[in-house]
Amino acid sequence: MEQFLGGLQILAQWQNFLIIPLGLAIGIVVGAIPGLTSDLGIILCIPLTYGMDPTMAILMLLAIYCGGTYGGSITAILINTPGTSANAATLFDGYPMTVKGQAFKALQMALFASTIGGLLSAFALLFLAPQIAKITLLFGPAEYFALAVFGLSVIAGVSNNSIFKGLIGACIGLFMATVGVDNISGATRFIFGQRKLMAGIDLIIALIGMFAISEILMKSKYNPKTDHKTISASAITKDKITKDEYCRCWKPIGLGSLIGVIIGATPGTGGGLAAFIAYNQTKQASKHPETFGHGEIEGVAASESANNGACGATMIPMLTLGVPGDGATAILMGAFMLHGMVPGPTLFAEQGNILYAIMLGLIVVNVFMYVIGSGFTRFYAHITRIPYEILAPIVMTFCIAGAYSTNNRVYDIYIILIFGIVAYFLRRMDFQLVPILLGIVLGPLAEKNFRRAMVISEGSFKIFFTRPISCAFILIAVGSVLLFAWKNYKARTVRAK
Amino acid sequence: MKIKYNAEIISGIVFAVVGAALWLLIPSQIQTMEKSAVNAQTLPRIAIGGMFLFAVGLLLEGLFSKEKKELVVTGASFRSEGFKKELRSIVYCLFLVVYCLIVEPLGFVVSTILLVLAVMLYYGARKWYYYVIPLAMVGVVYYVFRVMLHVSLP
Repeated sequence: MEQFLGGLQILAQWQNFLIIPLGLAIGIVVGAIPGLTSDLGIILCIPLTYGMDPTMAILMLLAIYCGGTYGGSITAILINTPGTSANAATLFDGYPMTVKGQAFKALQMALFASTIGGLLSAFALLFLAPQIAKITLLFGPAEYFALAVFGLSVIAGVSNNSIFKGLIGACIGLFMATVGVDNISGATRFIFGQRKLMAGIDLIIALIGMFAISEILMKSKYNPKTDHKTISASAITKDKITKDEYCRCWKPIGLGSLIGVIIGATPGTGGGLAAFIAYNQTKQASKHPETFGHGEIEGVAASESANNGACGATMIPMLTLGVPGDGATAILMGAFMLHGMVPGPTLFAEQGNILYAIMLGLIVVNVFMYVIGSGFTRFYAHITRIPYEILAPIVMTFCIAGAYSTNNRVYDIYIILIFGIVAYFLRRMDFQLVPILLGIVLGPLAEKNFRRAMVISEGSFKIFFTRPISCAFILIAVGSVLLFAWKNYKARTVRAK
Repeated sequence: MKIKYNAEIISGIVFAVVGAALWLLIPSQIQTMEKSAVNAQTLPRIAIGGMFLFAVGLLLEGLFSKEKKELVVTGASFRSEGFKKELRSIVYCLFLVVYCLIVEPLGFVVSTILLVLAVMLYYGARKWYYYVIPLAMVGVVYYVFRVMLHVSLP
């Protein structure tokens, strides 16, 4: 209690309330630019924190992290391109809402859900960190593999029209994920003599190509004279979230936040996986699953609450065990060390006051995020009024700059173009792009842990079924696939009648 | 020439061929010293094998489906509105390919300005200020990335 009050006292300094909005603004801008991630924002701002006191410095970096995760939803909703990989699931319903003229509503819900998810995550970090850390310690290779399988089961939910197309998409994604040097054996895989491919295909490059470039190509037939719809400024912000929609979204937000906290606290996973699983579970639990993927506000609520719900939770293993949950927290861990704090079991005893100030500050970060985001949302929504002949080259400029800056090489511009063209043809053939993305995201997690588990079990598959957590994940995955198959079968029978 | 097709048949054939080709490439593209049953080739084999099998499934689904489009290829097909629209997409792709080729020798600013102008002309933008906004954006992006964020550009 003494440390808690001490933390509150440190947090109450006025400088903290200036630095948090600044960090959030940087995070939102960086997150909203495809190709730039909150990781990059944190890295670029670490030198600015050298002269700050530790609480102020970490709060600024945390604000960038949270703001970046929220910011990525803006482009996902408005231009069908997630700013960061954590926002990929927001595409499912965010962009269809924009197409339906409900961009403002989608942006409002993304902000609201992100804030609630972020707040619950911050409270979990504050009150439940040691308990959650104990649970995540039970995760071994078998559990991680089962978690990846559970994530891949989302494919069944997003392949409504053709399960074969969804499965082919997942296989393409898994194949893409294997390109480069195999981390375990050191063997190169499918690099076709190109040394630049040895590091594999960057996820953000794949995202820009698959979503942004293919979207631009899909709209290559756009005719400004006939296709441009003039929308009045007042009409854009007229369609607000209704009371009924807020009530409907509480359940998805609660579920999303919970999944976000659990997945986020599991090292090596991240907000992207949490968002996919939350979306899938919300769709399954919904009484009207057929509306998902066609601009269902509950879909935006679930995915955005989950990815921001993971933000604070990724700090749990980092602060309690000294194990970073994802890339951003690994960088944050470095920032902690720079400011004389070594994350791990002794941190609470040694610098409890500062730690409580930071954990309480995360709550403030999320409150500020809602305030700042509310102001910006109105402005963002007007992007949909820009004629496409102006928007297309602007989006392209950002995509090219973002792709190049990922690894500082022109080669990545070629890669986004190849991905864009392939994705364009796939979309023309009615393929969903999300299963490909799932394969790319979950492939490395599944492969690494499958191989490790097989080494531990000396080649026996029993390991996945004898460990309770692993067995539970696999059973839930199989159950959810069967449930989707049954629901699809029933829907088809009804349609046939 | 008369062809009956649907998206399932076309994509089924394409991915069955791609899957088969990649499967044959595995031994030459993944040379591993591992002796265990689960090695560097395992996941690629699952992914590629799965791609092939599901593609065959998709092909069969397409063949047995009643919904098929009929394409009659004649000289007039190449003058149709639909074909012209497809050609427009190819022209758009070509802009991007040319951009990739010129971005290194000309640099980010010049090559992106050329790309922006090409895209604006492609869409037939007539108002002068329509050109100003994206062109100014190239400068803004350059400034933000290079000066503010210290991120290099070509």
